[in-house]
Amino acid sequence: MRGQRWNTTWRVWMVMVVIAAGGAILTARLAQLQLIDHQRYADEARLSHVSQDTLSDRRGALLDRNGYPLAGSEDSFDIMVETKAWADATEAAESSAALSQIAGLPPEQLTATVAGADAYEIAVARGLGYEQAQAVRELRLDGVRLAGSSRRVYPEGNVAAPLLGFVGQDNSGLQGLEADLDAVLGGAKGTLTYERDGLGNQLALGQRDEVAAQPGANVVLTIDRYIQRLAETELDKTIEKHKALGGTIIVVQPKTGEILAMASRPTADVTNPDLSDESKLALFRNRAITDTYEPGSVFKLVTMACALDLGLVGPYTPWYDEGIFRVDNWAIRNWDFSRNGDQSVTQILSKSLNTGAAFLSHLAGPEQFYAYVDRFGFGKPTASGLGGEAGGQVRTPNDAANWREVDMATNSFGQGLSATPLQVVMTGAAIANDGLAMKPQIVKEIAYPGQSQTVLSQPAAQVIKPETARTLREMMGVVVEGISPTLLDVDGYRVGGKTGTANLTVEGGGYKPDAYISSFLGIAPLDNPVLAILVKIDEPQGTPWGTVVAAPAFDHIVEAALAHLKVPPTESALVAAE
Amino acid sequence: MATARRQSAADIGVLHSHTLPVFLILASVAIGVAALLPLIQSSSATDTAGDVRALESQRTDWRARLRALELEVAGMGSLSRIEAEAAARFRMGTPKELHYIGIDAPAPEARKIPSRYLPEEAENGSDSPSLVEDVLDWLTP
Repeated sequence: MRGQRWNTTWRVWMVMVVIAAGGAILTARLAQLQLIDHQRYADEARLSHVSQDTLSDRRGALLDRNGYPLAGSEDSFDIMVETKAWADATEAAESSAALSQIAGLPPEQLTATVAGADAYEIAVARGLGYEQAQAVRELRLDGVRLAGSSRRVYPEGNVAAPLLGFVGQDNSGLQGLEADLDAVLGGAKGTLTYERDGLGNQLALGQRDEVAAQPGANVVLTIDRYIQRLAETELDKTIEKHKALGGTIIVVQPKTGEILAMASRPTADVTNPDLSDESKLALFRNRAITDTYEPGSVFKLVTMACALDLGLVGPYTPWYDEGIFRVDNWAIRNWDFSRNGDQSVTQILSKSLNTGAAFLSHLAGPEQFYAYVDRFGFGKPTASGLGGEAGGQVRTPNDAANWREVDMATNSFGQGLSATPLQVVMTGAAIANDGLAMKPQIVKEIAYPGQSQTVLSQPAAQVIKPETARTLREMMGVVVEGISPTLLDVDGYRVGGKTGTANLTVEGGGYKPDAYISSFLGIAPLDNPVLAILVKIDEPQGTPWGTVVAAPAFDHIVEAALAHLKVPPTESALVAAE
Repeated sequence: MATARRQSAADIGVLHSHTLPVFLILASVAIGVAALLPLIQSSSATDTAGDVRALESQRTDWRARLRALELEVAGMGSLSRIEAEAAARFRMGTPKELHYIGIDAPAPEARKIPSRYLPEEAENGSDSPSLVEDVLDWLTP
């Protein structure tokens, strides 16, 4: 009897222990859910009924100097689909078929995008226009909503493409001015947090927190769309005519340093950039500031400026050309191996004599010569504010291990050193502006919401005396007078310039055989310069001379640009008004 | 005893009063209306919030349309379009010769940047304060 009672008590205890253990396990699990993992489950619960959108206002426009938009933004819409809403294959197929007609994408692609996503919702199509968005809205599809976005539009097409650059899918600048000015153009992102119903719609009385996005500033550039297009048209024509590989044209206002046009080829289509092919990425760079080249005979202007400014020679100082100039057992010869005998210093420029340039640099001496090279801004970036700007290379006596005296002789006619097209055109601009070099300027004004900021022109340095600059300009006029009118003859205006035909360097040293860069650096009008223009053509086929290849493009640009800028021609060119 | 009897008779009088049902009905209606008030208020707020959302959506749409139109205008004024139109509709081409004529008139003014690209002027008190805000302002010195 006693044993039976013990047995019963033991069983009761066992049941109680099991119940207690079960209770303890349940309590522990409850504690885990409610206390330890509370945050995770709370977040998951919130995610299922709270949405957070990133808000962005309109990206600022890039305008030309007269207010014409070169790049602007319009509102666009992204189609967002809740992955759960398309869990049912039939429903997904119906919805995707309806959306595909509007978005212009195959329905299979839409369903595959959603099926492959592990997020709560995903964008199946981006950049829809207003009309398309309306059409999507009218479909009233479950789990489908439109998220506001922005799309870059280029009203002038691909004009100034390498300069402007492009934006990525998230509307941030990836290249060119779009990247350089991203902080200004992009504005500030905002956020919208809200409670939503089962269909993803915002609850009218639900929680709603909004931090408003700020629109980006509109940036007025110094670029003139007419001159920019003119430069690009002339560049394309010249490249086609001479079967060249590429080229660059830059037009600058000497008095302010404002860049009116900056064109380079080859380039890519920024209105529809193809980033899938890495080999094409090089096409997006702005060659006017990133690529360096040996400027060739155009550089004789720097050598001449140095000699004139130091008072070592005047324009009519006589000089005897023996056809050879010896330095360090090296013989410097003229480009045509000519021996010209009695010459004036002006003829060193007009006949582009290498021997004469070497003689002038020798006369100035390395210290003075390289001081002027430095003053004109070679060997360092121009501080234009454009991203990726190269500084070029100049070896000087300070680098004794790599510099020899013959280097100065070759440097004097633009070989053995490298520069960007922008550096070269700014040299012309400094000469045109009475020796006062201005900093190249690309941004004219920034219009923030509520305030405006004007960017003022900044002088860089007085590189040569005003009288030296005027003498040099006259000499540049003589150079142009020596060019056949069939190649360069600007109706109504007197212009000056200097041609250049340089060899093309290859990586590792040396020159590429039979490959040249033809260029022309000119200023117009000569008496009161308004434009400094560099035309540089890479590897033209056939005749490589700058006079033949590059000068005609300068002629056409000057003629049209001066009329566009309402620069009156000389009196003799005027037709009397009735 | 007599007092108790009188009180009881009075109690019976109140219970049997003709005004009691009316009073009770009115009280019930009042309680019912009071109970409905939060519902009406909530419904009204939901409606208003819905209207606000709809108007916001409409504003976004109009803004999108406006911006699209602005760029359409810009596209219409693009040099390539003007050139194409000039060539196709007016048979215009590049001049072979240039003649300059001096005229005794001031040069046209330089083109101004369209106001839509310039900073917006600050809005001056477009949102008038609500009645509640006015009352609160009056109450707080």
